[in-house]
Amino acid sequence: MPDHATPGIFKWGRRWAPGLIPLVMIWALAGWNTTLPLETNLSAQGRAAIKDMVLDGASVTVEGRDLRLSANAFSEQGRLSALAAAEAVPGVRRVNDATGLLPEAKPFVWTANRDVVRVTLGGNTPLPAVKTRLMEAARADLPGVEISDRMTFARGAPPRFEAAAMLLIDQIVRLKDAQISMSDGSIKLAGTAREIGGREAILAALRNLPEGFSIAENAIQAPPYIFQVNKDPVAATLTLSGYVPDNTVHASVIAAIGRKFSGEKIVDNLKASVGAPQGFAAAVTTALGTLSRLSTGSLVISDREVKLSGDALYDVAANQIREGAGGPLPQGWNYKAEIALKPAASSVDSTICQQLFSELLGKERIRFESGKADISPDSVGLLDRLIATTLRCPTTNIEIGGHTDTDGDATGNNALSQKRAEAVLNYLTRAGLSSERLTAVGYGSTQPLASNDTAEGKAQNRRIDFVVR
Amino acid sequence: MMTLVMLHWGWLLAAALLGLIVGWISVARRSEGLSVWTTRWVLALVALLVAIAIARLLPGRLGYWLDLGLILALLYIAGCVAGSWLRERVIARAAARAASGHGA
Repeated sequence: MPDHATPGIFKWGRRWAPGLIPLVMIWALAGWNTTLPLETNLSAQGRAAIKDMVLDGASVTVEGRDLRLSANAFSEQGRLSALAAAEAVPGVRRVNDATGLLPEAKPFVWTANRDVVRVTLGGNTPLPAVKTRLMEAARADLPGVEISDRMTFARGAPPRFEAAAMLLIDQIVRLKDAQISMSDGSIKLAGTAREIGGREAILAALRNLPEGFSIAENAIQAPPYIFQVNKDPVAATLTLSGYVPDNTVHASVIAAIGRKFSGEKIVDNLKASVGAPQGFAAAVTTALGTLSRLSTGSLVISDREVKLSGDALYDVAANQIREGAGGPLPQGWNYKAEIALKPAASSVDSTICQQLFSELLGKERIRFESGKADISPDSVGLLDRLIATTLRCPTTNIEIGGHTDTDGDATGNNALSQKRAEAVLNYLTRAGLSSERLTAVGYGSTQPLASNDTAEGKAQNRRIDFVVR
Repeated sequence: MMTLVMLHWGWLLAAALLGLIVGWISVARRSEGLSVWTTRWVLALVALLVAIAIARLLPGRLGYWLDLGLILALLYIAGCVAGSWLRERVIARAAARAASGHGA
């Protein structure tokens, strides 16, 4: 029988042809049913195979059993191993190679910009891991700030790129706005430091740049030297913020406030810092005098610009403040005033009027130059409030009484007290009050409030009184 | 190849069974089947398709369908061979038993 088997198969083989028709039907059905599942299966496996590889824009498409891999590799070796991994997927017949290498950036430029809204990292970055680390560093340094990623991959990063970029990212914290760019090894910086001294701190930090990197241009600006005072009459507080050059100036500012203002609570947020413009202390003293004349207001000194805004107590004062009546500022300084008028308070009768005067003069005194009848500039604020009160008492006559202590001879004291009372009267008439309602009387030392035996008592006796008649 | 077998065993089994049935029947049929000339042409065509498949000349889905067809055809032929051989053995054994019975 084995002798017959082989020729038998040849003989019968010619009779197997009828089965070809159902076979073709099976073929068609199998093709119809299996193509899509097979493609899905292969593309999932292909994607899994290259999942952990360092590739940019990798995509896998499958047609039949042919897998097409398109991606940008970061190195030739990476490209070849990705292709090998795709070829190793079981069931794949052929891998169509649409891979390439990332373009090489020449020069290799990386940028970091900061504006009001966000920090944007852009330019070229060598590897996904580096990009991730840079983004994480920026997020860690700047919590709550939006970090926008505009970096694209490229080959050709200079050695130690990451360390240099990290160092630059760390500097963004110190900048209010920043334009930082790194082109190969040369770094350009522009922007404004957040705080006084920030510019110097950045320069110091950049001395640690890795080898091969250098600063080509540094256009970082120091921030303006700010000194700010807000006067809030409701809470009776003065809020100080910004900078003063040193503790001496700080103390003199606080002392000037003590002389010029009447017992407002001081919230002192001043910080000592170098970099004050020339004439800072003099300008602050002058500007504080003007601020003391405002009912509510704020003083902002920014570098060499003094800006006052707020409400003056009466019309003449408003004009005087607008024109800078506080005295000349040091050379090179500018003065800007945005002054409105406080709405006039209602009129009051003579009893209340006297009460208001006593209240004002109980808290502080009108000061004069020692032994003279010249009103100290420190008292302009008080005088404005006295004038505003006088304006609320339109029907009353007011006596301005000058008093001294017992030091010196009585004639001299009488004359001085008379002159000082007249100086106040003149100030009031210059402010627009009718001189007919006002009289100036010098009482010398005849009406002491306290004993003239002590220094405090004498100080209490040297005074100007406003008496409603 | 293993992947294809795993994925498509149902279809391959169908082709093999079809071959087995056709092989079984073909032994007892009186028809001569295809002419020698046609058989040669068919064999030449199959050889050409196998060559195309091995050379991977057809791209994408066409290439896959060709592979699928050839595998199905291979199993069909294997089924035919098995079917024919089995049937022949059955016939031969029956003939031998008849002959020995007749002889006894």
